[in-house]
Amino acid sequence: MKFKNLIGAGLICAIILIVPQFLHGYPMTVVNVALLFAITSYGISVMLGMGGQLSFAAVTFMGLGAYFVANTTTGRLGITIPTMLALVLTPIVFAGVAFLVGLVLLKLKGTYFTFATIALVQVAFTFFNNYSPLFGGPDGISGIPTLTFFDHSFRSSGSSNEWFYFISISVVLVAIVVERIRRSQLGRALASIRDNETAALTFGINTYLTKVIAFSIAGAFASFSGALWVMHGRFVGADMFNFLNAAQFIIMAMLGGVNSTVGIVIGALLVTGLPELFRAFQGYMQLFWGVAIIALMVFMPTGLAGIKDMIVEKIRKYKVCASRREGDADATDS
Amino acid sequence: MQPILRLEGICKQFGGVTAAKDITFSMTPGQVHGLIGPNGAGKSTLMNIISGIYEPDWGSIYLNEQEITKIPAYTRARMGIGRTFQTPRFLQRSNIRDNLLIGTDLADQTGFLKGFFGKKGRPFDDELAELMEVAKFTFDWNDNVNSLPFGKRKLLEIVRSMLGHPKVMLVDEPAAGLNNKEIEHAMDLLNLAAQKRGIGVLLIEHSMDMIMDICSDIVVINFGQVIGMGGPKEISQNKAVIDAYLGGDDLA
Repeated sequence: MKFKNLIGAGLICAIILIVPQFLHGYPMTVVNVALLFAITSYGISVMLGMGGQLSFAAVTFMGLGAYFVANTTTGRLGITIPTMLALVLTPIVFAGVAFLVGLVLLKLKGTYFTFATIALVQVAFTFFNNYSPLFGGPDGISGIPTLTFFDHSFRSSGSSNEWFYFISISVVLVAIVVERIRRSQLGRALASIRDNETAALTFGINTYLTKVIAFSIAGAFASFSGALWVMHGRFVGADMFNFLNAAQFIIMAMLGGVNSTVGIVIGALLVTGLPELFRAFQGYMQLFWGVAIIALMVFMPTGLAGIKDMIVEKIRKYKVCASRREGDADATDS
Repeated sequence: MQPILRLEGICKQFGGVTAAKDITFSMTPGQVHGLIGPNGAGKSTLMNIISGIYEPDWGSIYLNEQEITKIPAYTRARMGIGRTFQTPRFLQRSNIRDNLLIGTDLADQTGFLKGFFGKKGRPFDDELAELMEVAKFTFDWNDNVNSLPFGKRKLLEIVRSMLGHPKVMLVDEPAAGLNNKEIEHAMDLLNLAAQKRGIGVLLIEHSMDMIMDICSDIVVINFGQVIGMGGPKEISQNKAVIDAYLGGDDLA
């Protein structure tokens, strides 16, 4: 197990070092954006994958994180704080906000909760799009400073290597947190809520509070990813945080495998990258995602990671059968 | 001896159906109490009321003489009311290790934060080995829980509940769907729970052999009402009980 972890760590380091050698310019920007979306997607993995709670609210918290950074680093509201401080503060502040929102929304259960999160997305979008003092209205907020990391300003072009290193290390850190949650008491509590909420109560699990905590973690991830996104792109507009994009994040998480730590990153890369490859069909993208989500639900509810597991299982079974047949052959020989 | 669990005048109605009517009895630690009655008599409802899934319309529940009627189900579980279900309920997509850890999490109560930063609960290998010795089967930690046959899963659910160190254990039809060997192992487990651990066990079961064999005390209910109480001998001669089971014609 230890050895396997070491190989995994080595592989991740190698990928992080090698990718910038081959990718430059616009493709690099797309990869950077995909990776920071993966952080939001990890929040969905905690809520939906572990806890079985479908929430569309991820984009809203991304938006809150993005506007928070946009306001505090440009001095629009009269105060200016360093970009690094804003980046660290965002997940802390919005974990708290998500906790409070979660306390209210999670009074509802199952589908009712999901609908409430859709309503939240719509309400928040309306505010983002119309309330100029805080959100810049339809024009959005531009001229956001790029990240300054201990006296070193990141190059403002989003395709730079330093952005790639910083974002991918953030993704790895978030992935480690998610893996830890999965293996700790919180992960087990969430799994028992997903599988049977009544039984979870008899295991001594405060199902309501546990779900609120998961919602708060997802909110922290999403707002952090929103903060990175806005420093990376240096502009924030409301369009990013509408319902269509909310659905796209769900697809992102489900395509790779909502319970697979590696799958989340692959899903984010595919969902962000494919529209760039098929620019000519951009008008049909919503149709494609609609069909994709139905197909995902029906044919691979566990995503690409599920298909991998299925193949591994098939190979294992094949090996068992093969060894048994060989065993029989040996027996007849002797 | 002071009762570990005491019910006083429990009533519960679902619409026009009375599932429990003035049910009063108490359980002593270290004994297996049987709860029997025809199908639909209100046995499982009563179990749900004790574990806190349903709220009674009337009446009080005491654990160690402390009233717990208004306390939520998860707190009751932490206070020591463990239970199993008619059809075992596990983490469907998790391996056996995680499913047993759900039990030890309950006993340890380390909290999410300490758990996240790597605090492990107490080691439970020895305890598990002791229980599996009685349950008489082995498994691979990393297998999915559904790879176990139904009977083994039911035994494992009793084991999981015991890993939570309950004071009272509610066991709902452990013998249903088990073969004779497995029923014996289930009885051994329950005896171990009661005699060695001093747990008060409340056992719902249709297998009369099992009830008569391990229960020191039996409560019989029908239509939500207690119709008989006492040791196995008395119960098997109680007229009301015989009528209820065999379909007597003059049951008032």
